[in-house]
Amino acid sequence: MELSDGMVVQRVLDGEIELFRVLVERYRAKFGRHAVALVGDRDAAADAMQEAFIRAYDSLDRCREPDRFGSWFFRILTNQCHDTRSRLRPHADIAEVDPPSGDSPDDDADRRELGLMINAALDELTAEQREAFVLKHVDGRSYEEMADLTGVGVDALKMRVHRARDTLREKLGARL
Amino acid sequence: MSIRDRWSADAHRYLDGTPHGDLDPEERREADLVLEAVEAWTEGLEPPTKALDDAVMARIRARAPRPADHGWRWLIRPQPIRMRPVWVPLAAAAALAFWLVAKPGPEPEQSIPVASASATADTVFVHFHLVAPDARVVALTGTFNGWAADAYQMAREDGGIWSITLPLPVGEYQYQFVINGERWIPDPRSQARVDDGFGGTNSVVVVGPRGVVQS
Amino acid sequence: MTAKRWWLVVLLAIVPAGLVAQQQNYQSQMTERGLPAGLVAQVDAIAADATAQGLPAGPLVDKAIEGWAKHVPEPRIVTALNQFQVRLRAAQQALIRTGHGDPAGLVIAGAAEAMAQGIGETQLGNIVDAAQTPAAAGHGLRVAAALVAQGIGADDASAIVVQWMHRGSTDAQLLDLPSLANQYRGQGTPPSQIGQRLMQGGGSMAGAGVSPGMGSRPPGVPPGNPDQTGSGQSRTRRP
Repeated sequence: MELSDGMVVQRVLDGEIELFRVLVERYRAKFGRHAVALVGDRDAAADAMQEAFIRAYDSLDRCREPDRFGSWFFRILTNQCHDTRSRLRPHADIAEVDPPSGDSPDDDADRRELGLMINAALDELTAEQREAFVLKHVDGRSYEEMADLTGVGVDALKMRVHRARDTLREKLGARL
Repeated sequence: MSIRDRWSADAHRYLDGTPHGDLDPEERREADLVLEAVEAWTEGLEPPTKALDDAVMARIRARAPRPADHGWRWLIRPQPIRMRPVWVPLAAAAALAFWLVAKPGPEPEQSIPVASASATADTVFVHFHLVAPDARVVALTGTFNGWAADAYQMAREDGGIWSITLPLPVGEYQYQFVINGERWIPDPRSQARVDDGFGGTNSVVVVGPRGVVQS
Repeated sequence: MTAKRWWLVVLLAIVPAGLVAQQQNYQSQMTERGLPAGLVAQVDAIAADATAQGLPAGPLVDKAIEGWAKHVPEPRIVTALNQFQVRLRAAQQALIRTGHGDPAGLVIAGAAEAMAQGIGETQLGNIVDAAQTPAAAGHGLRVAAALVAQGIGADDASAIVVQWMHRGSTDAQLLDLPSLANQYRGQGTPPSQIGQRLMQGGGSMAGAGVSPGMGSRPPGVPPGNPDQTGSGQSRTRRP
């Protein structure tokens, strides 16, 4: 008998605080990678996620739709991640990241470099574009799923993803 | 780099992984490179581990005002549970501890009694306990909580007895105790066991409207 | 492929949406519980196969979640699921042979549990015959299995369940049987006679030794609380 989010929230509010762990486990699994992608650093992302869970717990009685705890928590999490990233990374100069040395990106080292380039390029995006980009390319969600999660319309999301890609293309410029 | 400084509409569809028209070869090459780079990037993303769960729960516990046992407070609030008439015994039975007795906790400082939306008419309190004086933590897990390994932490009493009382809808459940987060055992007090299919055994409890009598 | 199978295929073609929704529900359940994508895919395939054969997929998915929670290695989980599916199929066949043509998922699941405890085909048939609804049949089968697990013979266990059903017990009342059996054992009744007492008991807990005042309600809770709904009810203060 799987406990729904709504049931868990209700029971935590009723005093069974240990049950909050069910939500922590559930949403760490679901949004963990998203947080790391958004923050750009694994440890900082873990801290941001921890902070987000505590905030969610503290304001749990203000979660108006307990069965949609996931979406509500997602908002808290992404806000926390954005704050953490902006504190963490002063405007990174993409020129500092070395371009891949080999011709073919099959080399492991080159792949890592490519990955770092993406991460640095994300700094050039607005928070909303970054979030949309991560939802699309890290989480692999459809635009409909993204709309459901964020409450933003599909068209607006598409625009953000397209702009993010355009910026990426501009910044990766000579590398491409 | 190709002439365009923006991706074409087809390129966006290609990057979305949806049906698209033709891309010019240069644009396609660039798109593939971006996808490759993104893939390399996502592969390197290590998500937070279970240690995060422990850290969060530790901070939450530190926040909670401490009744002697967690969860007791809500059990002494009024609940809309339909009670069956209690049968008068014909003979004084030996003391068989069956019905669930919630251990009364200290009165909470301020609590406004509310009807619990999740309690239904056929919900019954079921008491579980385990004698484990050497354990540091004991949890109850089973089909009533999707086998979450540490969702229902049990409270320790004198004599190394760990206990918990859960409201459960009538029905049949399988369960185990988890000791120190790593040792999974069936209930030594219960005779009803089933093979769990993984080489272990689960205990079975059948919850009827009149409560549960353990063997 | 039998005629029955063809109908299943046609049915699946006509109403895929509901099944697709169910598949996605299983997938998200498993993902939320932390099962890795590879395992989710394998379990999903087994669940889809089971559904196509008219077997209940829910118990299979639950079993996978259980295995993952218990840190069972992935290949072992898959093996266990395949074995489980075999048992479900055997239960389905047994029910069909006793004249219950298209058994509901929860009846199959209950029958599998009963058969695992040694309850035979004829007895399965008797229990399902005596049940008014599939839900009652499911409960009856599980209760019979529980009674056998407590040491009552398979024939007796089945007969007790059938009798209680014939006497008009509700599904919930059937669920009191295992507790009653434990009660009698606690009072020192020899196992051989527990069956008889249950047979006679037929819905009554008289003599079961329940003291007045000790109900399901913990001390301090006022009795007979009506549902309190509507505005004006505020949440308990945060713990």
